[in-house]
Parts: sequence; C-alpha cells; structure tokens
Amino acid sequence: MLSSVHAFATDPRRGLFILAFLAIVIGGSLALYAWRAPKIGLGSRFELVSRETMLLANNVLFVVAMLSVLLGTLYPLLLDALGMGKISVGPPYFDTVFVPLMVPVVFLMGVGPLARWKKTELPDLAKRLKWAVVVTVIAALATGWLAGRITAGATLGFLMTFWIVAAVATDVWERVQPAGGVRAGWVGRLALMPRAMVGMLVAHLGVAAFAFGVSMVNTYELERDVKMAVGDTTEVSGYTFFFRELKNVQGPNYEAVQGLMEVTRNGKPVVVLLPEKRVYRVQKNPMTEAAIDPGFTRDLYVSLGEPVDGGAWIVRVYVKPFVDWIWGGCLLMALGGALAATDRRYRVKQKQESPATVTSGAQA
Amino acid sequence: MNMKSLRFIIPLGVFALLVFFLWRGLRLDPHEVPSPLIGKPAPSFALTRLDDANATLRRDDMLGKVWMLNVWASWCGACREEHPLLVEFSKTKAVPIIGLNYKDQRSDGLGWLNRFGNPYDASIFDQNGRVGIDFGVYGVPETFVIDKQGIIRMKHIGPLTPDVIDKRLMPMLRKLNA
Amino acid sequence: MRKLCTLVLLSLLVFGAFAKDAPNAAADPALEARMMRIAQELRCLVCQNQTIADSHADLAVDLREEVRVMLRKGESDEQVLKYMTDRYGDFVLYRPPMKATTWLLWFGPGVLLVGGLLGLILLLRKRTRMSDDRFEPDEVDGLEGEVRS
Repeated sequence: MLSSVHAFATDPRRGLFILAFLAIVIGGSLALYAWRAPKIGLGSRFELVSRETMLLANNVLFVVAMLSVLLGTLYPLLLDALGMGKISVGPPYFDTVFVPLMVPVVFLMGVGPLARWKKTELPDLAKRLKWAVVVTVIAALATGWLAGRITAGATLGFLMTFWIVAAVATDVWERVQPAGGVRAGWVGRLALMPRAMVGMLVAHLGVAAFAFGVSMVNTYELERDVKMAVGDTTEVSGYTFFFRELKNVQGPNYEAVQGLMEVTRNGKPVVVLLPEKRVYRVQKNPMTEAAIDPGFTRDLYVSLGEPVDGGAWIVRVYVKPFVDWIWGGCLLMALGGALAATDRRYRVKQKQESPATVTSGAQA
Repeated sequence: MNMKSLRFIIPLGVFALLVFFLWRGLRLDPHEVPSPLIGKPAPSFALTRLDDANATLRRDDMLGKVWMLNVWASWCGACREEHPLLVEFSKTKAVPIIGLNYKDQRSDGLGWLNRFGNPYDASIFDQNGRVGIDFGVYGVPETFVIDKQGIIRMKHIGPLTPDVIDKRLMPMLRKLNA
Repeated sequence: MRKLCTLVLLSLLVFGAFAKDAPNAAADPALEARMMRIAQELRCLVCQNQTIADSHADLAVDLREEVRVMLRKGESDEQVLKYMTDRYGDFVLYRPPMKATTWLLWFGPGVLLVGGLLGLILLLRKRTRMSDDRFEPDEVDGLEGEVRS
C-alpha cells in the first residue's frame, strides 16, 4: 500500500501564464473603470427606502461576500509570503463567513422585486408579504419534519428556500391581477411579463433550489461504513445493497479490482453499481473510483475502502438526498441570467443610441 | 483628470498589489508543510534494526553526535532519485546517516538496499509508521538533521539535491559540529 | 409440534437474515462518530483539500487510527488536536485557528460588511443634500416594465 511520495517541485510556468492572463483581463477592466467611471453622472434621485437602495445594498453584500472569499483564499499565501507561518483555509472558514452574508441577500431577494422604484413604503411591503412569511415558516418546519428531524441549520436553509419561492409567487400573483388599461386574462398578463423579469424570477428560483439541495444533503445525508464480503447485504434508507461479486478488470492505463453492487428498493431493482479500486500503471498510487447513481430526489454512492482479512472489503455507502438540485439550481441561475440578458429592451436602447446601425428588427 | 477622480484608480492599485503577492506565491510550494519540530527535541523512539530484528536502536543512543535521519521506502520512486546522491554523500563520512524505513516490508527494504546501495550506518524499521507520525512525516523522502543534544535543527522535504546538500546541509553540519 | 417447527424455522430465517446483513466497519459506533467529528477538523496533508475523514490516503487511514487510539485512552478533543498540531503545525487544522495572525481573516468580512453598509448609507444621505440640477430627469419607462414617475 502506498503513501504519498514527495515529487520534485511543480513547474511555475503554468501559474505564470494564468497570472499574466488575469493581470491583462482584470487589470484592463479596472483601468477602463479608472478612466471612464469619473465621467458617469449621479443618475436620478431616489429615497433612502426604495428599490434602488435595496439593489445597492444587494451589491454591497455581494461585493463583501466576494472579498471574503478572496481573503480566505489568499490569506495562507499572504502569511506564508510574509514568513508568518503556514495555515490552511478551507470549507469551515467559508461556511462560517459566506452563509451569514447570504441570509440578508436572500431576504432582499424576496423584498426587492416587490419594492417600488424611487420610494417604497415599508408597511406596504410588509402587508403584501404577510402571506409569504406565513407560508415560508410553515413550509420550512413541515419539510424538516417530513425529512425526519428538524435542525437549526436545515430550518435556516428551508426558510431561505421557501421565502424565495413564496416571494416569487407573490410577485407573479400581483402581476396577473387585473389592472387598469390592460385588457387580458391572467394567462395574457403572464405572457406580458418582460423577459428580464422572467429571467429574474427563474434565477431566484435557482437560488431556492440550490439552498434546498444544500440543506437536504448537509443535514439528511446518510453514510454507512460496512465490512462486506461477497454475498453480504446492507441497507441504507430503504435501499438494499447486495455485494454480488468482485473481479479484476483491465483498463486502458490501469488495473482495477471491481465490485458489483446490486441495489434494490422494496424488492424492485434500482441500479447496478460498479465501484473500483484502480492502480494506474505509471503513477502506482491506488485511486478510488466511486460508483454513483444520480437521481432527481437522491444520489446513491458506493466506494471501496480498504480490503480486510478474509477477503472482505470496507465499503462506504452514501444516500445523498436532493444533491443534484445544487447543480440544477446553478443551471436555473444561468438560464435566468441568459433570459434577462437577451431581453429585447436592452438591444432596443442600444439601437436608439446609435442611429447609424440599421436593423430590420421590430420595435419592442 | 482632477484630484477627485484619482480615487477611481484605487481598485487598480489594490489589484496590482495582489498580482505582486500572487507572483511571489508562485515560488512557494503549497504542498510543503513546515515542521513545528525545528528547535524541539527529536521524538523518542526505539525501533528494531532493518537488518537485525533482535537489535534495537533508540534515540538516546545517538546523543552526543550530530546525525541525519533519512526517511525512505522501497516503494518510493522519488527515493530512487535521491539515492545515488545519498550513497555518494555517505562516502564522505561527513555525518552518520540513519535510515527510517517507513511503512515497508523488511525483505523489500533489504532487497532495495542490496540493489541500489546502502548509505546508512543503520536503518531502523518503522512498519506501521508511528515513529514517522511522531516526526511529522507526511510523505517520502524526508531528511532531518539532529544536533548533539538531540534537538531537530533542520528538515528537508522531498529528495535531496546537490544544491540542498551544498547550500543548506553542509553549512548546518559545520555549524552544529563547531 | 407443527407450531414449534414453524417458530424454529422462522427464527432461523430471521437470524439467517441478520447473519447476511453486513456488520458495521467500526467496532464501537460511538467512538467512531467522535473520531469522525475530530477527523473532519484535520486536513489530509497528502490530498487536495480533503479532511482525513473523507480521504482514502494511507496517511489519513493511519491518522484516523491514531485518533481512535487516543480517544480510547480517554484524551479530549483538544488534546487530540494539539497532538496533531505539535507534529504538523497549524496547517493540519482544517479550520484556521483564532490567533493574532488570523484576526484579519476572521474579523475581516464582518468589518467589511459594516463598513460597506455604513458607506452606502452615508453616500445616499450625501445625495439627498445635493441640489436637483446634478441629477438626471426622471425616466418614463423602467426596465422592469414599470412606469417610473
């Protein structure tokens, strides 16, 4: 069995190339900012309590979150370069710092879209969001209860999830209400929503899905480390894992021991998983190749740990609920961004500013 | 540009400082973990010799001498790279070299030394790696220099090179032997 | 007699099922859980950004066993972490320690947040004190499809 080997120092040339690239791209952007920003005016007036202020507060929060991630990433380098010791910064730091910053962002995500431009009345907002608040609290607690146990962390995550969903629902509900001057049913009103608005709502729902996935997986993930020989079974969260066989396989550049795990639920077959322990011919360090079955409501994950006496293996089995919603949420955020960016009104404005550009596109 | 618009240069200035630090950082190795044991007594150990399971070598046996501990293993490729250099260096008899055979099999370790040469005054056999953990070993090869009072004075991570021997090891040995 | 046979058969089946269900890898689940909690605070030095709890590397397996041994001897969580930092330094802590050299790291974000929000409020208040001619006239159509009065 192999431990780590200290190889010779890594080549800094790749790093230098990336650094040069960053210096040009980011340096160029900041130079452009230094040159053009002083020429930008103050814009129009707005009150201290208004949609504009909420957007600006949102920007401040995002910038602080970004700077915090930058601080955490660079801090070990800073200390090392100054000869003040070597520490490591990882997920415990980022979780402690990033999550509290995101809570107010999520709160604003609910309130902001409902706030009025230039001046908004807080009592009015509170009244419009009353229903959303109630639904959020009930849904968050109900989800925790249905999942098996209610914890502080999961509840915070669910509150964030359902707050966004309820606020989106409230926003959409208000927009389909009959309003003066527009003669259309609620479907018609829905279709009238500008693409940028739809993009915003989709992106917000992406954040909700993300928060839901993270809360579910962090709190309700189940893991079992078991000693299994061929023929043994283990059960996790209603799924039965049967270790049918173990064999040696040859890969293009590796040799592996491969386990065959039959997964069933209530007697019905679900999937066959093939975790491997590979030894690559050049590197010679054993690598663990986990077998994953992705799903809409859960991922199943099996990996081979170490072999033990008697031909058995330590096997790790995970059931990760809703973990793919994390990726799905990010996809929704990207989709929302794309929808908003392709809103025709951005392009129309540009055409109005440059009459030399002649197009045949219809007016928005 | 007037005075007021000079503040818009601040982000660019901060970024330039950042790039400087990142550039300096490219020289550092993120995987190198400096040892907190420099200046502290070498951990006490009592291990059997690789070539004789009935003979034991203890830390205190080495008191009164400056000596070098080289952590190696027969399964370690990088150790193969430093080994010829170590064999040459051992011929100068500059310092007693004790090998710590780390997480290996006795027969594999002895076979390896037979094939590639034996620079060690003695090798001690650390099969389960516990002594390695006490020394803060996290990979192979690693080399320690320990003074006459049993205090660790230097740790080198990774294979030894002629540069390391000339610029770090020899000056350290001269200083400790003075 | 028939009932007895059925009972015996049934109990054999039940025990048979238990015999086939894989035993937990850990002999003592409570100790194991405590070990894993501590292991999640220790960085795997030979891996890219993993804890010794998650890592399959040899050193991680060895260190997990060391932690088990120490816990069985009755050592506290702090003593175990000190054992590790005595040998590997602060780098082995997955969560950066709170020391004078890391105050900026831990308090920085909070300070930035307060500073940022304060700065925003002060800037906005400064705007309310400015004269109207420095501002742009009001727009008729906002990008959210609302009429900005």
